[in-house]
Amino acid sequence: MVEKYPINIWINDERYEKLRQAGLADMAEEVLAGMRVIKLQCTEKQKDEILRLYPMAKFDTATTKSIELIPSDAKEEMFNLVIRRKSLDVIDEFLKNVKKSG
Amino acid sequence: MIYTGHGNREIVERIMPVSEARKRIRGLKKVDVTGRCARECIDIAYGFFTPLQGFMGREDVDAVCEKMTLKDGTLWSIPIVLDVEGEEVKEKGIKEDDTILLTFSGKPLAILEVEDIFGYEKAKMAEAVLGATDERHPGVRMINKLKDTFIGGKVTLVNPPEFQPPFDKFWYTPKDLREKIAERGWKRVVAHQTRNVPHTGHEWLMKGAWFSANGDLPVEKLQTGILVNCIIGPKREGDYIDEAIVLCHDELRNSGYFREDIHLVSISLWDMRYAGPKEAIFHAILRENLGCTHHMFGRDHAGVGSFYDPYDAHRIFDEIPEGSLNIKPIRVLEWWYCPVCGEVTYSGLCGHKEKRQKFSGTLIRSMLQDRVKPTKLIFRPEVYDKVMECAKKYGFGSPFCTKRYLAERGPVFVLSDM
Repeated sequence: MVEKYPINIWINDERYEKLRQAGLADMAEEVLAGMRVIKLQCTEKQKDEILRLYPMAKFDTATTKSIELIPSDAKEEMFNLVIRRKSLDVIDEFLKNVKKSG
Repeated sequence: MIYTGHGNREIVERIMPVSEARKRIRGLKKVDVTGRCARECIDIAYGFFTPLQGFMGREDVDAVCEKMTLKDGTLWSIPIVLDVEGEEVKEKGIKEDDTILLTFSGKPLAILEVEDIFGYEKAKMAEAVLGATDERHPGVRMINKLKDTFIGGKVTLVNPPEFQPPFDKFWYTPKDLREKIAERGWKRVVAHQTRNVPHTGHEWLMKGAWFSANGDLPVEKLQTGILVNCIIGPKREGDYIDEAIVLCHDELRNSGYFREDIHLVSISLWDMRYAGPKEAIFHAILRENLGCTHHMFGRDHAGVGSFYDPYDAHRIFDEIPEGSLNIKPIRVLEWWYCPVCGEVTYSGLCGHKEKRQKFSGTLIRSMLQDRVKPTKLIFRPEVYDKVMECAKKYGFGSPFCTKRYLAERGPVFVLSDM
């Protein structure tokens, strides 16, 4: 099985409402004491591309195996794509958009 | 009042009165030191590194690397060295028995009585202290970047640092802390080492350590305190900003998560070596000098990546000779959130391991980065508000170090022009 590396998008009440309206509320899972998250799964190649684009981002090898510390505006854009596409499979489109905008 | 520090030696402050210093420094050869050396000069002069009274000479460095002691046999795990370019030593004609002026950013800081000038094999030092020579280890990179010549000798501060807000109210010298501890009537003090804004996992680490330290003491009038000792040193992009670390720890007490009479926040200047077990020993020595009787050590204390086993920093205390430290390690496992228990609980007690939700500093940072307020079970709302206030006030909008923060942040301390 190909290993996947998640990007955690934290869900506050406002984001949860948007998910609910888009019929995606069940995509949010609880991970820590009631904190909800949606997980955008990345392939190894996508993970490397994200880490290259955002040098401050970090791949948390110790505990969560997730890609963290991506700037909030980039995550906001990923979340908006999820709502628009009604899917969690948005990383390729996100990367294309970032490259296009240079 | 005489205070005893590590190695049962008196804590000595090596600080020259300014009027005398102005005359004493005239005409001395000057060496401008790095930020690390400046911080360590200050530490030495105030007794944070008791029994050291200066930078180490070769014999001490050899003993630290080979036996984890000073040359006199006192337990010591990390070399404290002043590094300079050999070329500079030659050009300035610096030799043993000279007295030189150490400056920092061009301003007088301390005088050093030169006792030893020597070179050292960096790979030997890295292997001995860090157990690694791999450049992926930040401590190895730090050692490899040292200049090629070391100067050992006693240090006397000639220009005491002026700590800047908000750090000024957390700066206590070892003597200050001993006085604070006496005022509060603490018989036992447990140290919590930190470079983080606290989540409730940290809070419970401290509370658990307090229970252990308090042990058999009477409980009607509490005599055990927690000293939160924040490490102030070099920062990397993505670290919490220093201001947020100290002010958020302070907020835990201000908001009542710790009682006023059992909790104190202070800072120490130290450049982490990430030396895992050896650094744990060093932290114990440092906190012994601050007057602590106990020191909490969690999982992977002062470690980095997978260079050390998560509990190496516990086991090293089994290997040191009895009586070589006057501070007791408190060894703790993890605290996690258990949805079955419905609380933050201790992994050594909770039987729902398969349901556990582990604290991850990275996950919490990720929530803050997304500006999503964590639940109060894992992050106190007052601490969240404080971290965001710090982001605005000190961090150019971010609670984490950015390029801008690293370039433009306010100084922790300044030196006068004398």
